[in-house]
Amino acid sequence: MKIVGVAACTVGIAHTYIAQEKLENAGKKAGHEISVETQGTIGTESELTQEQIAEADIVIIAADVKIAGRERFEGKRIIQVTTEIAVKSPNKLIEKAVEVVNQKN
Amino acid sequence: MEVKDIVDLKTIKTDLSAKNKEEALQELAEVLLKNEYISDVEVFLEDIYAREAVGQTGIGNYIAIPHGNSEAVNKIGVAIGITQEEIPWETLDGNGVKGIILFAVGKENDGAQTHLKLLSLFARKLGNDEVIEKMLQSKNASDVQEALCN
Repeated sequence: MKIVGVAACTVGIAHTYIAQEKLENAGKKAGHEISVETQGTIGTESELTQEQIAEADIVIIAADVKIAGRERFEGKRIIQVTTEIAVKSPNKLIEKAVEVVNQKN
Repeated sequence: MEVKDIVDLKTIKTDLSAKNKEEALQELAEVLLKNEYISDVEVFLEDIYAREAVGQTGIGNYIAIPHGNSEAVNKIGVAIGITQEEIPWETLDGNGVKGIILFAVGKENDGAQTHLKLLSLFARKLGNDEVIEKMLQSKNASDVQEALCN
């Protein structure tokens, strides 16, 4: 499965990046292709390409603030959670993503 | 520059004596002051507590990451404290913490892009369970640096 995500927290210093790391690790561990963009104090990094978004089966948004460029995901399945959820239960979140994708098919 | 440049041996304390959150934050803020990362402990901690009030900074795995933007910050950095006994903290997994990483970041960060980038790479490390496990077993500052920077 192909997953893209965006992480963004209130201050943009810590949770954003921890969520990115945890999600990417959990996704890869479960055998998926995953790429998570971060929107923090430093700006947007690991920006998702149009191709990555087009190919993605699902979008995981782990954010405590309004993210930039949400319109890029229009028409796609989106799971939206807080960064806390991504940090606390990354594996469960990936499982949930798989469930949602399977429901769709 | 690399992540190692953010992890200053002088701001790592593996023998933190704090018994609670207030003492831990005070102790680590004083370390930051002594090493000129911040100019005022009281002002700095006020901004840290403002972030604490918004949500849990205990990320599980016995780690807390208090942080915030403060005018009292001179230069971007982190203070790291390790305690022998678990201390109470608001955490995502309901456990206490043994490793406290206090982030110091200014309100205006013009010209600090490199440091912010390093700090983000550093933060990513904290999302890695193996890194954390190794860090908590550290006996001295060099061990902590090695755990976080390799």
